[in-house]
Amino acid sequence: MAVSKSDVAVLFEEPIRIGSGGGFWGDRPLAPVDLLKSDDLDYMIIDYLAELTLSIMTKQKRRDPSSGWATDLELWLAAGGIDALRKKSVKLVTNAGGANPESCARMVLEQASKIGWHECKVAVISGDDILPRLDYLLANGEDLTHFETGEKLSDNGVEMMSANAYLGAGPIASALEIGADIIITGRVADASLLVGCMLHSAGWAYNAFQLGLTRESPVVDWAPQHITNPLDVLAQWTIAGHLIECGAQVSGGNYSNWGEVPNLATLTLPIAEIYLNSDVKITRGKAGGGMVNRKIVAEQLIYEIGDPEEYITPDVIVDMRNISIEDESEDVVIVKGAIGKPEPKSLKVSAAVEGGWFASSSLLVSGPHAIARANACDLALRARLSALEELEIHTEFIGSGVTLPKNIRQELFPLLNPPEIMLRWAVTSPNRRDITDFTQEVAPLVLTGPAGVGGYGARPKPRRQLQFWPTLISRKSVESLVKIELLTHLHISAESERFHFIRRRTRGFISRLQDELDEREWTRPLVKKLGWERNDSITDLTIQKEKEVEI
Amino acid sequence: MSETVWIPLSNLAHGRSGDKGDSFNIGLIAHKKMWLEILELSVTPKLLDQWYGDSVTGLISVWPMPGIGAINCLLRGGLGGGATTSLRLDAQGKIWGQSILRMRVPVNKKQAEELGVPLNNQSENQWDMSHIL
Repeated sequence: MAVSKSDVAVLFEEPIRIGSGGGFWGDRPLAPVDLLKSDDLDYMIIDYLAELTLSIMTKQKRRDPSSGWATDLELWLAAGGIDALRKKSVKLVTNAGGANPESCARMVLEQASKIGWHECKVAVISGDDILPRLDYLLANGEDLTHFETGEKLSDNGVEMMSANAYLGAGPIASALEIGADIIITGRVADASLLVGCMLHSAGWAYNAFQLGLTRESPVVDWAPQHITNPLDVLAQWTIAGHLIECGAQVSGGNYSNWGEVPNLATLTLPIAEIYLNSDVKITRGKAGGGMVNRKIVAEQLIYEIGDPEEYITPDVIVDMRNISIEDESEDVVIVKGAIGKPEPKSLKVSAAVEGGWFASSSLLVSGPHAIARANACDLALRARLSALEELEIHTEFIGSGVTLPKNIRQELFPLLNPPEIMLRWAVTSPNRRDITDFTQEVAPLVLTGPAGVGGYGARPKPRRQLQFWPTLISRKSVESLVKIELLTHLHISAESERFHFIRRRTRGFISRLQDELDEREWTRPLVKKLGWERNDSITDLTIQKEKEVEI
Repeated sequence: MSETVWIPLSNLAHGRSGDKGDSFNIGLIAHKKMWLEILELSVTPKLLDQWYGDSVTGLISVWPMPGIGAINCLLRGGLGGGATTSLRLDAQGKIWGQSILRMRVPVNKKQAEELGVPLNNQSENQWDMSHIL
């Protein structure tokens, strides 16, 4: 039955509350549990992937096929996190899956199983990894030119180690729509994690299903008819995602006026509250220290951006120039004014090619004229390695202004007389042997350099560098192959599954159509692994796979 | 013409920096929105070029963000090859947003006084670039 757009108007009086569980893989691993316990949330999002994280994960997966995902997720799920998600009905959306979302999802199901949550449904979103299709893509018109240097992949003759396209919010929203409790993705653009939640909560994804729109349509087309400015709404959601995706950086961490922030030791994570009129409020968890104010949120708005007129995500391009940020009350800031422009034609790809060999090492130098002693050390080391023509040595005299630009530092140098210098070398070479030679020359400086040199350790192991290769790819080459799979441990009864996605709609929403919807037929295959994949005709959402799979 | 005075950037703005490939950006937010014009006039691509010298090899852009009274500075080729291949300890450029606050910037004395921008030197360790310009 065709449903017109206006049928699915969705009201929400209460804001949707979306918490951030941290800012990167390596952030305080158990902090998400504290936020889940202290606050009421509809969703928790966690961005675990920095620009190069996926290259590292791809390497790990090659060594061990069950690895290649963000293991911090397991740490906090096992430390009471999975229980808190279930008890408080919070949906988790994270790109912890990295290079291996399916293995990550199995871990999540195991954790759910351990607390008796057998009906937990975990969606796996994949298709971001374009490495297996690289030859095909190159043969079909994608040149994967490095967009900073203009180098072509074919010119370079290098082997690509990993290549992942940034997916948008659409697949996340679709996964929530079919009833996922926890969503594990590979590379998804940071802000899209939150946008996906909102596409579901605001009824856009449901509307798209009703209208038969494919999930790779621009998500702006999913908007119900009564939304007059869908691009601006997407822009506001995107900004909310951008603001909280770095965790505590928007709730008091890394703030210029750090001295004002109460209790850095117990800094809480941030929460975005999204209103029906698309106002965004940023606040923070109740239990602990931290701070949210206009200046802090402004610092995060501007964090890691380029041209503020074009903040590009797969879902929308945001014009940030007229965004306003005002203090509303203690620890509550209101953000308005993001303007949306149609989504980009291409998706960003984060790729890596193999680089040279690398090691770094340091020594502590003290005594009168510490800088001169450090300099003598450096000169001796360089002389001892001078035969290695391809070895590049970079020296930092830490404590003498390395955090200032070189020209300012040089001016400063003669004026300084610090009690000690930390001497740090970083070296690179195409030859592993050169790096080994370097590592053998550091500790001897304690005995064979000037007096006052200490702090040596074991010889570091040479490691291979990865060279970042940012590029673009057409949407079509990626999006038609994005896959959503819903995994669960149990057979699901037909009764409980009917309209599951409507009943589980998150707190704070009232669907005008709920009663009407409950009467409609909705069937889904009742299998352990609910393969939910689009067929290639691009117009028809169908369930293709129905098979039992051992989990 | 009114006199130009050099004041620490920290009198005028606060900031944060981060990486994008081999570029880093510094967001500088005026302590008061109405100081944006002064901030824009003082922190120009030329000044940034002089401050960073050959630590930055590519183009420098500065864009205003009037909604929050800020400027965003993008410094291309500023990370010695980017986070994974840079030999620098701070390969992600996290510290640049704070270390630049010690830079002295030129402001129009009359305008700064009218708008209440502090003209004092809060710290002894700022490097005055007026002799370079």
